Amino acid sequence: MDKSLMEALARRAGLQKALAEFPDDVAAAASQAENIAERIKTPADPRAEPWPPMKAGEGL
Amino acid sequence: MNGELPSELHWLSASEAAYAIAHKQVSPVELTQALLARIQRLDPRLNAFIKVDSDAALAAAQAAETEIMAGRRRGPLHGVPVGIKDIIDVAGLDTTCHSKVLEGNRANEDAVCVTKLRAAGAIVLGKLSTHEFAIGGPSFDLPWPPARNPWNPNHHPGGSSSGSGSGVAGGLFPMALGTDTGGSVRNPASCCGIVGLKPTYGLVSRRGVYPLSFTLDHVGPMTRTVDDNALMLDVIAGHDPLDPGSAAARTGHYAGKIDRGVRDLRVGFVRHFHEIDTPADPEVTAALQHVARALQMLGAEVHDVTLPSLGEFAAVNRIILQAEAWSVHAKWLREQPGNYGMLARRRLMAGAFYGAGDYVHAQRRRKEMIAEVEARLRDFDVLLCASSMDPACRIDDTAEVERTYPRQARTPFNTTGHPALAMMSGLSKGGMPLSVQFVGRYFDEATLFQVARAWEKSAGIDKKRPPIG
Repeated sequence: MDKSLMEALARRAGLQKALAEFPDDVAAAASQAENIAERIKTPADPRAEPWPPMKAGEGL
Repeated sequence: MNGELPSELHWLSASEAAYAIAHKQVSPVELTQALLARIQRLDPRLNAFIKVDSDAALAAAQAAETEIMAGRRRGPLHGVPVGIKDIIDVAGLDTTCHSKVLEGNRANEDAVCVTKLRAAGAIVLGKLSTHEFAIGGPSFDLPWPPARNPWNPNHHPGGSSSGSGSGVAGGLFPMALGTDTGGSVRNPASCCGIVGLKPTYGLVSRRGVYPLSFTLDHVGPMTRTVDDNALMLDVIAGHDPLDPGSAAARTGHYAGKIDRGVRDLRVGFVRHFHEIDTPADPEVTAALQHVARALQMLGAEVHDVTLPSLGEFAAVNRIILQAEAWSVHAKWLREQPGNYGMLARRRLMAGAFYGAGDYVHAQRRRKEMIAEVEARLRDFDVLLCASSMDPACRIDDTAEVERTYPRQARTPFNTTGHPALAMMSGLSKGGMPLSVQFVGRYFDEATLFQVARAWEKSAGIDKKRPPIG
C-alpha cells in the first residue's frame, strides 16, 4: 500500500498516536489487509445474502 | 475417604477422577492438593497459569468433600479441578486477556460456561495463559510470559488457548476451557497432543467471554481423552437466551454414545488441504494417511472430498475476524497502543484498513462456503482433514513460528460454524505431537466423538504422556 494512502487511512481510523509511536506496526497492519479481498471469489448472484442472514428466523 | 489412592493422581482423567471421588476412593481435597503441588513444581517451566487461585480451589474442594461424605452429589464433575482461559470471566478474579490493557479487570460474575461447570461440581484452579486477547502470540513483550509445550518446553504449545493446552497435556489439571475463533482450541490441542473441540457455533454460550470476533467465536472443551471432552461438553452446552449467537438446539448425552464404533460410517477425506493447498510436513501427511487407513480397518468407508481452498477460507476468516475485532479494540488502539504487545497491535489494527464492502463481501462468500460444506456433509457423516501442517517449533524461533502458524486447516470451520475436533495422530521423530481433525454436521458432536473415540482406542492415543515428570 502506498505510504501516503496508508497514513491517510490510519488517520481516518484515529490511529495518529499509533502512527507516531509505532509506524512499523501500522504499516504491517495495513500490509495484512491489503488486497486480501481479492483472494475471495465474488458471489455469482449479486443478490447473494451474507452470513449471518439479513432476515429473522434463519440460522445454522 | 476409603480405598487405595492411585500412584499418580495428576494423570487421572476427569471421568476417572469423578468416578473415584464419587466412590470415595479419592478425596477432592487430596486431588486438588496433588495438582496444586504439581503446578508449583512444573508451572515455572510451563507458564500455563496467569493466576493460581489456590485458596479458593482448596475451599471448594473441602466443600465438595463435605457434600460427598454427606451423600450429596452436585453433578458429573463433582470435585474435579478445571483450568479457565483468561479471557473467560471467573467471579472475583481478573480477566486480563493476558494484556496490560486489562490488568486489574476484576470479574463480578462467572461466565455462563463457568457457572455450568461449577453447577456440575467442578473446582476452578485459576486463570490460564492465552495469546493476548486471543490473537497476539506467542509474545515475550506482555506482563506474563507465554505458555510452553510440556512435550518440550523449548517449543510453543499453540494458541491462543496456550495455557489450557499446556496445562492439560502437562497433567496440571484434567480439563480446561478454551476459545476458538480461528482455531485457538484446536491449535494447542494439536501442538500438545490432547483433545480439543470447537463445538457448533451457538452450542456453548459466549456470555462472559471477552469477544474477539462475534460471528466466529466459540467456547470449547480441552481434555486428555475423548470421553472427558464429551463429558465436559455435556455440562457446558445449552441455549442461553442472553447470548445473541446462542442456538436453541437439543443438546446432551454426548458421553453416552461414544463407544458405538465407526462401522459403516462415511468419512470424507479432505486431502487437498494438506497435499495441494498447504503441503504438510511428510510426517503429518503419513500420520493422516494412517488415521484414514485405521478407520477403514474399523469398518468406515473413506472417500476423498473437495472443499473450497484453504487460501480462500483463510482470507474470508481473516477479513471477518479482523474487522469485528477492530470494532472491539478501536478505542484502546487509538488511546493506548503502547499497552498492547507488538503482535496483537499489528493484527488488531489491520481491521482499520478494511472497507465495509470487504466485510460484506467476505460474509456473502461465507454463506456460499457454508452451503458447499453442507453439500459434502449430505454425502458423509464426518470429514477427516489436517489440523496443523507441522509439529510445534521452538518458541524462540520467531521466523519459524511465523512461517508455521498460518499453515493450518482450522479456520474453515470457524467460518462455517461446523463442529471440529483436533487430536493427536501420532508423534514426530522429534517427539512432538502430530494431529488430525474431524469435522461433523451441525449439532452432531455425538458422531464426531464416536469417530474420535474409535481412533483414540485403536491407537492408544490417550495413554501417551509427555516426558515432563
